[in-house]
Amino acid sequence: MNIYSVKDKLKKLIWVGSIVFALALILLPLYLLIKYSISDASSINTGGAPIPLWPYHPTLKCYKYLFSDTQFYNVLSNSLIIALLTVIISMILGVPAAYVLGKYKLPGRHLLILGLISVRLFPDIASVIPIAEFFIKLRLHNTYTSIVLAHSLLALPYVIFIGMSAFESIPLDLEQQARVMGAKGFTIFFRVLFPLAMPGLAAAAIYTFLLSWDEFIFAYFLLGLGKITTLTLFLKQKLAYSPPQNLLATISVILSVPVIIFSLLLQKYMAAGITTGSVK
Amino acid sequence: MAQVILKEISKKFGLIQVLSNVNLEINSGEFVSLLGPSGCGKTTLLRMIAGLETIDSGELLIDGKRYNDIPAQNRKIAMVFQSYALFPHMTVSKNIRFGLKINKTPEDEIKKKVEWAIELFGLKGLENRLPKEISGGQRQRVALARALVLNPKVLLLDEPLSNLDAALREMAMEELKRIHRQVGKTIIYVTHNQVEALSMSERIAVINQGKIEQYDTPRTIYDFPKTVFTASFVGSPVMNFFDGIISSCQDEIGIQTDFVFIKLDAERMEKLKSFKNKKVKVGIRPQNISYAEHHESKRASDTMIQVSIELLETQGDRSLVVSKTSSNIILRFMVSRDINIKSGEMVDVFLDGRRIHLFDPSTNINIFY
Repeated sequence: MNIYSVKDKLKKLIWVGSIVFALALILLPLYLLIKYSISDASSINTGGAPIPLWPYHPTLKCYKYLFSDTQFYNVLSNSLIIALLTVIISMILGVPAAYVLGKYKLPGRHLLILGLISVRLFPDIASVIPIAEFFIKLRLHNTYTSIVLAHSLLALPYVIFIGMSAFESIPLDLEQQARVMGAKGFTIFFRVLFPLAMPGLAAAAIYTFLLSWDEFIFAYFLLGLGKITTLTLFLKQKLAYSPPQNLLATISVILSVPVIIFSLLLQKYMAAGITTGSVK
Repeated sequence: MAQVILKEISKKFGLIQVLSNVNLEINSGEFVSLLGPSGCGKTTLLRMIAGLETIDSGELLIDGKRYNDIPAQNRKIAMVFQSYALFPHMTVSKNIRFGLKINKTPEDEIKKKVEWAIELFGLKGLENRLPKEISGGQRQRVALARALVLNPKVLLLDEPLSNLDAALREMAMEELKRIHRQVGKTIIYVTHNQVEALSMSERIAVINQGKIEQYDTPRTIYDFPKTVFTASFVGSPVMNFFDGIISSCQDEIGIQTDFVFIKLDAERMEKLKSFKNKKVKVGIRPQNISYAEHHESKRASDTMIQVSIELLETQGDRSLVVSKTSSNIILRFMVSRDINIKSGEMVDVFLDGRRIHLFDPSTNINIFY
């Protein structure tokens, strides 16, 4: 009995230890970012002394500076508009596709799915050139249209994939039950299937938003020289002028905040076992 | 309420013949069970009536009208799935009002009907719960309520009690019977559980391998099984079978088996005369073999035999005895649990001649049918 409990305790210790270690690895950069973003100059340029674990005089100076800058507001709203439009476009196109692929065993379905995955087989840096050229030829570069379409292209395979499994996981019984009760195609979709696929679709939407929000390569090639600056491009621009570290860190924190918030939200949605209890 | 007629219905899934030439007439307001082992096609038949499966050939008539090509959503037939298929994102009351709402029922009427259903099925207090927050028995009642508020022509039930435990199932069976009496709907009930079929339905269609073996009242199915399949599928413990030949012995006609000469009741003995020298498969239920000690007045139709006890299986108030005849044929019978017999013992038992079933071994059909 005792031996087992010692063994169990050791096991537990190893588990907890590895979790703490992994967590530390993940959280360290975040800690550094936040620390720098609220650091005063004396905590960064210490003149040879070790950099303190926590700034001597924490300050929100950099945040105040950024949020008093009208250009920064412009950049923020650009990123937000592009991300939201990307979500709308890729959901409008992706959800019906996901529904059809998830619910109907079409001939050639596997080929279609393979085709969708293949879009994501190329690294962004490889696919960006032809896409950029395409938009330049259409004289659409430096426009919202080009970047939103490009981001939608990146997001669509994910939307379709996540959405497909969301629709697939809804028991056929529910659909047929609705039909027997007198519901037709559209009613079944909007009153039964869509609400049940909602957690999955919401996850796909959030994922799309994040994908667009912190996307750099396509933004750089399609908008790089124009009037539209996104948050990632803004960071790149600032980096070129070797600005104070705390300002860069602050931009990064602002860039990361939605990512962190949405990732937490996503987790809640992903974990929700909403279909439990309907079908045994 | 509606009358349902199936005419020569057949169905194939790929190469597999699921149903062949099924004929069934269900009267308006009748409670009919489709009883059979899993994979016999009973659920497919039900789904065809609901419109969820196409009909390859044959005709489905409801109140005299051909329904083959009417889509499921226009049939006004309600179905309760084995899984109950409650909409998980809707509360109990929303589940019940769903069908009324999509059929554009006026709001005050919806309210009245939902209240009626909640009252009828004892769901008060659960209106705002989600399906995952109620018990299995409650889910089953919600599924029934949801089906009945639509005032369907026919109510189809696909093994609705199979997810319930024994005690709940008994209660649910009583409730279903009560509901049927109250609302008088035509009910078609699919089950593999003979107790459910025997105790609830007015008529049972026994289905095996896509064919209807027998369609009759529970009592007739039990007392006068048409085929060997029905005889062995309905009734528990399973009926005993052994071979025999119709012959006469000392001017009396009966069945000669390799361990005893069996007599029947006078009425059927008379009929047996025309089957003389015919080989038969003899069937007798364990309940119709009685331990001699408790058989004070032996009837003329009873046959006494001696068997050796192989083993005893206590089943609560009674015991199932597995015994062997002198010719090593296994006979199962029931005794009260107070009877003190042990395995290895030789005992006398009576075969009740009135309850002996005779089948033609080549067709497996009851020779008196």
